[in-house]
Amino acid sequence: MIANSVRRMAGALVLTMGLAGMAFAEGKVTVITPYLAQPGTQFYLDGFKASAEGKGWDVNVVDTAGDIAAVIARMEDAVTQGVNAIVINVDPAQVTAGLEAAKAANIPVVGMDAGMSPLLATNVTSNGYAMAAETATYVANRIGGTGNVVMFVFDAFPPVQMRGVIADAIFANNPDIKVLDRVTPDVQDGGIADSRAKMEAILAANPEPGSIAAVWAAWDQPALGALQAIEAAGRQGEGIVITGIDANPQAREAIAAKGNFEASMAQDFAGIGAATADAVARVVGGETIREPMIYVPTKLITAANVAE
Amino acid sequence: MIWLRRYGTLAGLAAIVLFFSVMLPETFLTLRNLGNIGQQVSMLAVVAFAMTVVMVMGDFDLSVGAMASLSGVVAAVLFVHGWPVPLALAAALAVGVIGGILNGVLVAVVGILPFVATLGTLTMFGGAASLVSDGRTIFGRDIPEAFSGFAKGTVPGLGLPALTAVALAVLALVWVLLEQTTWGRRLYAIGGNAEAARLAGVRVIRLRIQAFALTGLGAAAAGLMYAARVASANPTQGNGLMLDAIAAVFLGMTMNEEGAPRVLATLVGVLILAVLDNGLTQMSVDSYVREILVGAIILAAVGMAGLGGLARR
Repeated sequence: MIANSVRRMAGALVLTMGLAGMAFAEGKVTVITPYLAQPGTQFYLDGFKASAEGKGWDVNVVDTAGDIAAVIARMEDAVTQGVNAIVINVDPAQVTAGLEAAKAANIPVVGMDAGMSPLLATNVTSNGYAMAAETATYVANRIGGTGNVVMFVFDAFPPVQMRGVIADAIFANNPDIKVLDRVTPDVQDGGIADSRAKMEAILAANPEPGSIAAVWAAWDQPALGALQAIEAAGRQGEGIVITGIDANPQAREAIAAKGNFEASMAQDFAGIGAATADAVARVVGGETIREPMIYVPTKLITAANVAE
Repeated sequence: MIWLRRYGTLAGLAAIVLFFSVMLPETFLTLRNLGNIGQQVSMLAVVAFAMTVVMVMGDFDLSVGAMASLSGVVAAVLFVHGWPVPLALAAALAVGVIGGILNGVLVAVVGILPFVATLGTLTMFGGAASLVSDGRTIFGRDIPEAFSGFAKGTVPGLGLPALTAVALAVLALVWVLLEQTTWGRRLYAIGGNAEAARLAGVRVIRLRIQAFALTGLGAAAAGLMYAARVASANPTQGNGLMLDAIAAVFLGMTMNEEGAPRVLATLVGVLILAVLDNGLTQMSVDSYVREILVGAIILAAVGMAGLGGLARR
């Protein structure tokens, strides 16, 4: 891997020496992220690179290892270098200084699951509203539009708050569904342990079989915590339906086991990367993208397709 | 050999600058890029200058990065509670001083090794930052424009970025304190031989506490600069500054015959790190290769100085 990197560096050196001053007709794109070590980011990049390769671009990926100020610094460097476009994978509100530097130099910046900002040409991401709508309707349909539902939400974090709003609306639209409790778990420990404790308390308060029809969680961790509580209480046979969002590996395992945890939503990370490359091609080609957010479809994961 | 030991690092910086000037003839040595570098490096520079103060005494402060994070979130949380900007900043800086005094007391009074004492406070400050901020990033409308706007501003009439000006002011202050006052000379005496300094009447305990307080203040200031630059505060955002700051001071120490830290030499160390980051990014060098190169350069510089020392012995 090091040998490969060194070769890449040598390639970059040769390229810089050979082409110094020459225009890069095929396009130079710098991707800057503080989160390269996170698994999701790798998938975005794989999708982006595969698509960029077909377009003949010279892609440089910069990882600042969690340092947000360094993202701004590297954006400024890319602007100085005169790249054709910059892609960021970080909250645009935190790198305004870098975005303004790019704007002043007329270099478009595209967000790859970054966030909305007037300084971005566009942002490619998953639709949080749509994801919540899928799992909330799954719950409503599975329980036949009747019964008590426990919700796990987190309104302090906007991307999760928007999921809760949609689920609220869908449950409210079913007159026979009652939201028994709308729980905000403590997420300091990752969210599973406290969700389990909260769910255990709710189970204790509602001992009658059938008194809880479903658990809708705005992300996977509380769903996993609720599953643990239900199993520990020996109530897994009551047919309580649990759904999460994100389809993380632990959630997929639980769904594959065909227990109470029935469904979650998978984001298409590679698809977001590829769509980001398409968006870059459009803005570099001179197009102004009208929509500030481009959504890549997400997928409902159930026992039927979890193995795919 | 002596020349190499003394000026090798400075020559290294010159060679790096020359290399990038040749490789990037149109973009590297421009006023704009130099301004960028000056701004990019300002936060690290302030931490490194502050770190130099305790390293003069042969001490260490591993908690500076966590303190930078803590001061950022303290200011941001006070903004959220409607505190005026100057008051919130003063409170955040006070947290830095208090944390520094705690470090100083643990090292000088309780007698815990600086490495262990500040490792402990690093963890405490990090926990406090998460506690104060509830583990969240504070951004957007919660951060007043008067605060984040400062980082975008320049010194009127000079065109010098405001953050760079702050770093230069801290450099001047630390230089005067260390090089031009008896206070500074006493710190160097402690670094030479703490016991001898004590017997000669230097109030070692009080000086060490003061030095750590100053380092804490510098770390807090750097944390505020960082928060202004990214217009947000997150409980871990300054953590990366610590290792780079220590690396910068070590790079600087290679320029001194006795291997003592000098703040102007720390500046050279800081610039080497910043120029490498800036130039290699412009040359599209892979970030991981960049890290390997930076590490190798630090080792080469320190190794060369060490070799010189061996030859002398």
